[in-house]
Amino acid sequence: MAHRSDFHDIRGVRTHMLKGGRGRPLLVLHPEFGANTWAPYHDLLAAHFHVLAPDHLGFGESERPDWLDSIDDLVFHYVDLLDALGIDRLPIVGASLGGWIAAAFAIAHPERVERLVLAAPAGIKVDGVPRYDLFANPIEDVLRHLFHDPMRAAQVLPAEYGPEVIVRAYHEFTTLARLAWNPYLYDRKLEQRLPRVQAPTLIVWGENDAILPLAHAKAFAALLPYASLKILPECGHLVPFERADAFAKLAIDFLTA
Amino acid sequence: MANRVRPRRASSIARLSPRVSRRRDAKSGRREMTIAGGDADASAMQFFYFHLMPWPYLPRDFDRAYDSAWVTLPNRLYDPKRGHQLYNEYLDELEHAERIGFDGLCVNEHHQNAYGTMPSPNLMAAALARRTSRAKLAIIGNAIGLRDHPLRVAEEIAMLDVLSGGRIISGFVRGIGCEHLSLGVNPSYSRERFYEAHDLILRAWRDPGPFTFEGKHYQVRYANIWPRPLQQPHPPVWLPSQGSPETIAFGARHRYPFVSVFTPYANAKRLLTEYREEAERLGYRAAPSQLGFAVPTYVASSDARARSEVKPHLLWLFRRGLKIPPHFLAPPGYLSEDTLRRFLLAGVRAPGELSFEQLEREGYVLVGSPRTVRDRLAEIQKDLGIGVFVGGGRIGNMSHDKAVRSAELFAREVIPHFRQHTARTAAPRRGAGARR
Repeated sequence: MAHRSDFHDIRGVRTHMLKGGRGRPLLVLHPEFGANTWAPYHDLLAAHFHVLAPDHLGFGESERPDWLDSIDDLVFHYVDLLDALGIDRLPIVGASLGGWIAAAFAIAHPERVERLVLAAPAGIKVDGVPRYDLFANPIEDVLRHLFHDPMRAAQVLPAEYGPEVIVRAYHEFTTLARLAWNPYLYDRKLEQRLPRVQAPTLIVWGENDAILPLAHAKAFAALLPYASLKILPECGHLVPFERADAFAKLAIDFLTA
Repeated sequence: MANRVRPRRASSIARLSPRVSRRRDAKSGRREMTIAGGDADASAMQFFYFHLMPWPYLPRDFDRAYDSAWVTLPNRLYDPKRGHQLYNEYLDELEHAERIGFDGLCVNEHHQNAYGTMPSPNLMAAALARRTSRAKLAIIGNAIGLRDHPLRVAEEIAMLDVLSGGRIISGFVRGIGCEHLSLGVNPSYSRERFYEAHDLILRAWRDPGPFTFEGKHYQVRYANIWPRPLQQPHPPVWLPSQGSPETIAFGARHRYPFVSVFTPYANAKRLLTEYREEAERLGYRAAPSQLGFAVPTYVASSDARARSEVKPHLLWLFRRGLKIPPHFLAPPGYLSEDTLRRFLLAGVRAPGELSFEQLEREGYVLVGSPRTVRDRLAEIQKDLGIGVFVGGGRIGNMSHDKAVRSAELFAREVIPHFRQHTARTAAPRRGAGARR
């Protein structure tokens, strides 16, 4: 499906966004991989919604301002972005890092979120359940852990790792480190605040998630007042990339119910 | 052991003699001892003896069974009983280096690894402060951004400076990538924290306390360190580095001696040249005392013998001690993107991939008979314009005896050549360039 690429100046910060599809607006927040990518799941969602897929600041083609160092900064940024677009209220889909941002947004601005779809959101820890360290492993090993089926990884990831691809990935991981190095991929306040989320929420988790193991799914769902949990078999951490069809169907059914 | 340096000036004899210095010390206390730090630039070349304090007892299957000597190398492989013996041997070697004529002794900070078992170089400097009396104690350096609070470094260096009678040289480093993983410090702020920690430490040494410091990473409302450093306005600051353009510009701006560490000769030359050029842009000429070169050094009776004796230990250093995969070496944000791009485009080979011959050719090591080393060092001095040489040391899994023999040969056959050289040439140059 046709999509286009736009740049917005949000309080002086260059923000890049892919847009496509017709219908009500839907904000789609990418995980720590796959910025500036119009993936098959975007296409599927765009059959029902006007998909707005911004690059988080410091990812893809969006600028990284010096002040960026927390998920809250991105929440404020997305408030500004929606204001700039003249959108008052909309559903949000977010995966992993994007799911964490979406949840934090829904906590801070419940009046602006219709519904939430969270695919393996980061943001909480479960005692005794280790999270895979994205920052301290060889890249091949990281990629193996992100997907259950290595064939899927090959379809999604760059075919070649030239210097510019590596520098770009390093740039994005540096942004991720600023946001989530310590505490690693969680915010201890989030657990305390998740019960504030008012939006009906669908949580989707890959049964074979090797980054945030399934125990996180149950813990996350238990903290939200209006949440249901779907577990996809044969699926790793990057749910929308690995199981685009199944994920999009669940999301669309939930968002259009 | 008594191959004491031939002094350059009559007036410095007393200062350079540990015996005299100790006697005076007993009589009149610390004041005389402060002189020890006073004439760093009087010689064209200062010689420093460097120690990493490695853990040489890696298991036989290390190469196959372990990804790295850092971060994940299980600490059950460290045996504290053998460690006790090693630490004491290592300190003996450093103390011995003072007796045989080195100007300074270097210790440095590394965490949670087998390459260098000195997480607190300040503790080792404290041990040396009480057992030496003349040599500079160069801590190259404290990884200031890794500390929870840099004032702790300001305090410890001040303590050491007072304790040692003003013999401390305070190197500052960022800490390597691995150490950000090992200590849980966010590498994407490594550079910011380094600069901010530096600013706070320098203020703590120089500015009357209490004062308020409110940075991004460190805040203190009552910075007021006791003790203050003995050397005024503060102990010399060095920047040991493998060199990023940012570090070089920072060093030249503050006139901090830059010491190129464990990097190929061509790279060391590039870095020191950049430093000199940066100094010129800033309107001054970098003194030799601002330019340092650190390289593992080994001397034996002949070139062939020196090579064959040092080879296994040098390979241990680079292939085992420095076995560091890229994801430990450069966690996210530790390198600037420009630096990473330069690395990738240059296709730099890790020294661990090089043969001994290649390492020697590229200048990762200075090895040979006394004559060879002396001649090469004279070339290096001329070519790089350095006034600080950091060498010696017990390389990798080298034995105590070998390390001591090499250091003695170096002190007896190499160092004096540069003293005589100085005696001939120092007079007309005295007063030029020296800043401290």
